[in-house]
Amino acid sequence: MGKMAATAVVPGLGSCDFSDLREIKKQLLSVAERSRERGLQHSGKWASELAFALDPLPLSELPAAPVLTEEDARDLDAYTLAKSYFDLKEYDRAAYFLRGCKSQKAYFLYMYSRYLSGEKKKDDETVDSLGPLEKGQVKNEALRELRVELSKKHKAQELDGFGLYLYGVVLRKLDLVKEAIDVFVEAAHVLPLHWGAWLELCNLITDKEMLKCLSLPDTWMKEFFLAHIYTELQLIEEALQKYQSLIDAGFSKSTYIISQIAVAYHNIRDIDKALSIFNELRKQDPYRIENMDTFSNLLYVRSMKPELSYLAHNLCEIDKYRVETCCVIGNYYSLRSQHEKAALYFQRALKLNPRYLGAWTLMGHEYMEMKNTSAAIQAYRHAIEVNKRDYRAWYGLGQTYEILKMPFYCLYYYRRAHQLRPNDSRMLVALGECYEKLNQLVEAKKCYWRAYAVGDVEKMALVKLAKLHEQLNESEQAAQCYIKYIQDIYSCGEIVEHLEVSTAFRYLAQYYFKCKLWDEASACAQKCCAFNDTREEGKALLRQILQLRNQGETSSTEISAPFFLPASLSSNNTPTRRVSPLNLSSVTP
Amino acid sequence: MASVHESLYFNPMMTNGVVHANVFGIKDCVTPYKMALLVLLSELGRAGAQLSLLERRRLNRLLLPLLQGPDMTLSRLHKAIEESCPNLANSVQIRIKLMAEGELKDMEQFFDDLSDSFTGTEPEVHKTSVVGLFLRHMILAYNKLSFSQVYKLYTALQQYYQNDEKKTGIDETDMELTNTEELEGKMEKEELDVPLREEEISCSGPLSQKQAEYFLSQQASLLKNDETKALTPAFLQKELNNLLKFNPDFAEAHYLSYLNSLRVQDVFSSTHSLLHYFDRLILTGAESKSNGDEGYGRSLRYAALNLAALHCRFGHYQQAELALQEAIRIAQESNDHVCLQHCLSWLYILEQKRSDSCVLLEHSVKKAVHFGLPYLASLGIQSLVQQRAFAGKTANKLMDALKDSDLLHWKHSLSELIDISIAQKTAIWRLYGRSTMALQQAQMLLSMNSLEAVNVGVQQNNTESFAVVLCHLAELHAEQGCFAAASEILKHLKERFPPSSQHAQLWMLFDQKIQFDRAMNDGKYHVADSLVAGITALNSIEGVYRKAIVLKAQNQMSEAHKLLQKLLIHCQNIKNTEMVISVLLSIAELYWRSSCHTIALPVLLQALALSREYHLQYLASETVLNLAFSQLILGIPEQALNILHTAIEPILAHGAVLDKGCAMFLVAKCQVASAASYSQPKKAEALESAILNLNEAKTYFAKVDCKEQLRDVLYFQARLFHTLGKVQERNKCAMLFRQVHQELPAHGVPLINAFK
Repeated sequence: MGKMAATAVVPGLGSCDFSDLREIKKQLLSVAERSRERGLQHSGKWASELAFALDPLPLSELPAAPVLTEEDARDLDAYTLAKSYFDLKEYDRAAYFLRGCKSQKAYFLYMYSRYLSGEKKKDDETVDSLGPLEKGQVKNEALRELRVELSKKHKAQELDGFGLYLYGVVLRKLDLVKEAIDVFVEAAHVLPLHWGAWLELCNLITDKEMLKCLSLPDTWMKEFFLAHIYTELQLIEEALQKYQSLIDAGFSKSTYIISQIAVAYHNIRDIDKALSIFNELRKQDPYRIENMDTFSNLLYVRSMKPELSYLAHNLCEIDKYRVETCCVIGNYYSLRSQHEKAALYFQRALKLNPRYLGAWTLMGHEYMEMKNTSAAIQAYRHAIEVNKRDYRAWYGLGQTYEILKMPFYCLYYYRRAHQLRPNDSRMLVALGECYEKLNQLVEAKKCYWRAYAVGDVEKMALVKLAKLHEQLNESEQAAQCYIKYIQDIYSCGEIVEHLEVSTAFRYLAQYYFKCKLWDEASACAQKCCAFNDTREEGKALLRQILQLRNQGETSSTEISAPFFLPASLSSNNTPTRRVSPLNLSSVTP
Repeated sequence: MASVHESLYFNPMMTNGVVHANVFGIKDCVTPYKMALLVLLSELGRAGAQLSLLERRRLNRLLLPLLQGPDMTLSRLHKAIEESCPNLANSVQIRIKLMAEGELKDMEQFFDDLSDSFTGTEPEVHKTSVVGLFLRHMILAYNKLSFSQVYKLYTALQQYYQNDEKKTGIDETDMELTNTEELEGKMEKEELDVPLREEEISCSGPLSQKQAEYFLSQQASLLKNDETKALTPAFLQKELNNLLKFNPDFAEAHYLSYLNSLRVQDVFSSTHSLLHYFDRLILTGAESKSNGDEGYGRSLRYAALNLAALHCRFGHYQQAELALQEAIRIAQESNDHVCLQHCLSWLYILEQKRSDSCVLLEHSVKKAVHFGLPYLASLGIQSLVQQRAFAGKTANKLMDALKDSDLLHWKHSLSELIDISIAQKTAIWRLYGRSTMALQQAQMLLSMNSLEAVNVGVQQNNTESFAVVLCHLAELHAEQGCFAAASEILKHLKERFPPSSQHAQLWMLFDQKIQFDRAMNDGKYHVADSLVAGITALNSIEGVYRKAIVLKAQNQMSEAHKLLQKLLIHCQNIKNTEMVISVLLSIAELYWRSSCHTIALPVLLQALALSREYHLQYLASETVLNLAFSQLILGIPEQALNILHTAIEPILAHGAVLDKGCAMFLVAKCQVASAASYSQPKKAEALESAILNLNEAKTYFAKVDCKEQLRDVLYFQARLFHTLGKVQERNKCAMLFRQVHQELPAHGVPLINAFK
């Protein structure tokens, strides 16, 4: 028994392999218990959720309650009293009864209650400060004292993993980011099982380089951390790989991992996959509220009204005063074009948690819909203030100025958005449109081409590119783009009504007609007849082709297509270098 | 002539612009400092009758700045009151002490009593007076406070008092400093003008709104008028970041951060700050929700315009044009003529970069006058004058136009434009080659500044006009051989415009040009060659020209010729007539150095025609010198003497010392040459006068330390003395010649063939 307790206190996680799932489960259970003892609810929840995903242990292998030391026993009464006060959110009272306690557990709770008390007071202060000016100036007064005391203990190396975590949090709140990172890394080394420390690290690391510089403990927890931070840093491929390997290792039932994968798919806009995973998640965990805002975003994008409505009502029943719930309801109203109400719900979400970033951006979108541009700008700016890397807010700002007919002005914002998401075609298309409006066609072409190259979501980049080429009388390239576009549309298998398909066929028909490639021209013209808006033109062209064919049967041999000259092609940037006649066998709508 | 103008259109703090508006409505709130003021007012009411008339008057004068100024510490307030009335100061101190060391109810009682001053048949304070309004504001703000806020206010008061107790010992010394200023009764001015010291800002943590506003406006005006006195860019940015951290809605801070980034030429962060500022500004303007004059539509227009200005400032002309088009379109849509007017001026500046059509500008001036924008109109006139000066319009018309616009300036007291106008006159006179007039104008601007400082108090110390004038002054001094004075002026420039500042490039260029000329005079061609790179970096045309001169001096004729030909074509394209003439002269010189005088002649005539057409008198005289020299070599010295007479006068009046020397030397040579055909006594007379001229040339050359020319003159003089049979003088000259000759390397070009 004693030996087992020792492993629980100092978890010997020598490797990052997942061969011994039982051991992992034991560790998770014990750390969940220890987190709860210290009032760290979220870490406790995380560990328990993960533990739940693993097979249950037989009675004999359950971790024993940690052995109490002499100190623990001495502080037991004070600790028990204070913990109950703490659970009732009476932090000052808890701290009062814990003063002078020496045991690690009691000491942590003492410091933590002081910290939370300061935070709570700060939040209360913001509501009634003396003047408008002091709004931003309210500080958590306790932080300084806490820092001094904790740094003393830190120097003397008297802090355990939880203590280090708290020290890190205090440092972060004081904007001492560098020191905070060091302390969190240390905390992760001392107590790798504590998810809170890892999560804080995730928030502080801003790019891949920083991540590489850290020396992290080599445990299985690191895998979870890496997967999480890859998602944060938009390195979705890597993140998905990690999560897959975690599932393979035996965490297939973990709702946490499932939700993270869904979020990852959402980030790369693989909507169908994300939706199916979310549905799965809701089946497994029907009363879950976390991440449901993301789910609702997906439903919104797909305009799935009934599903969204169901979700909104369901969540509202579970808990209507949750940020996520408000967001879902906001999305619901937005989809129903009741933008005032939507904005109201987003505002409510922000009241519940002013640091909830997504709501600012969404509110901006609502104001945009209501044509209240100045309020939209305000909302987006707030979002950027909370998180500079929020590409949606930058994009939204760009859109706002575009609506205000300031294409040059919005270039800056789109560029920022593009910097943050270099492989997102929407920003590139938006940039291209702006350049087009500014009559900078070369830049516009580049943007569209790049948008196509990174994988165009809306499939519009090629059409726009083609139209630009058309405008510049570069019929060769225009035809190329249209061909690509048509192939694209049909190859992805969806039978979506694309408005521009008919335009593409019409142009191609005319192009081949000009090149005197009768077969291709008539094939395209026939396609034209399938669409309402081009039917007449298609028929007329067919007639003409027939006529010319009959006349020019003899002379057709001497016509060489001038467009095939390689010299005229050397400088362009069209997809393929040669105009290959459209392979129509595959183009069966 | 340096371009004075571009940066002046870029004047963000202008009244016509956007910035001056105070966007945050002042919402009163009670602070400990305000409470101290309230105590003062109530004490004033109580002690009313006992105060002497003088004390009363002083106090009344003190009150307004106190009410409107930023919050200050208690000891500072105490000192301020003490200057006017020591008794009152003590009683205020005591009452605050009582309140701070007492209980909460003391403060509550105090506020209850405050409103008494309005009551009664003969109230102490009138309700609508300044003091009355302040009192009522405060009472209202106090009554609105919730319970916890009242308690917070009370603890703040206690802290205010206690902080002061602690600090009194330390602050004693610098309090003395402010004392003396206050004694002079200039309280209002001085109190506000004392720049916030760095440590004062950094230690104070979050600033109050008033303090922040004050800090921003002060730094902004310093940036505009006297950059060296403002905080260093890094420190200012730190302060601004701090400010924004505590109050992210403080839009002006973003604007200041934009200006600050401009100082250090940081495109990225300045764009960021500018756009952020306007995003914020749009919010504050949104309350009126109209697209018209007052609403956020206005800030949208100016946002685009400012973006254009920014791009122009960094030389992104294409970007600037796009932004400007946008501004113009929006302004047109909303019929904002004032904004359109600004756009038009900018359009001119952008057009100027490519072609020199002045249609736009004339149009702009007319419109500006029509809409009553004197600032823009005058700027337009000045740009027009500058443009016309380059295009060769006659001086009297230009000066007339400037005089007319000067009238406007004085009428509207646009002191900044007056400065520019004078700077421009200096430059124009220099362009025409009238150095004395230029000198006079330059001195006028410099001495006028000191005159203005007394009256206005706002010194415009490091504006571009001062940089231009000082640079011209330095060059004028250098031309006259006063190198010590020139370097003294440059040293001053360096202090006034530190290398990182906006106008520093001006003096850098002039500094290098002067050094280059000196090196050429000394015959240190390698030194001059090393300076060329620096000049090219600042002004490519000038750089190429100087490079050609160095090559010429090093006898690398064909390279020099190639370079000059290229330069000539380029300058003709961009219509830089001044440079075209200089290049033509250099080319001519290359020809006669290669003894092709007949080819040099048409080139010289072309130069002469051009300089006459554009009224560039000095260059014309120089061309005449060259022409005369060619004639001398071609054997018609009489003709040469004839045309020399037309040129010698302006050169002696306005020319550089070196040119004067060359001219006199040439005159002497011509005299000698033409004397060859004279009879003996007449010849002797001519030679005597040539010797006198040579003496004069010698003194000129000695002044600028031109050893080579000095040697030539000495040789020539010795020969003349020899001809006249004056052995003693001849020997003296010969000896001097030998001394100089030993110092210098042998000359490659035959003596008689060189005139320069």
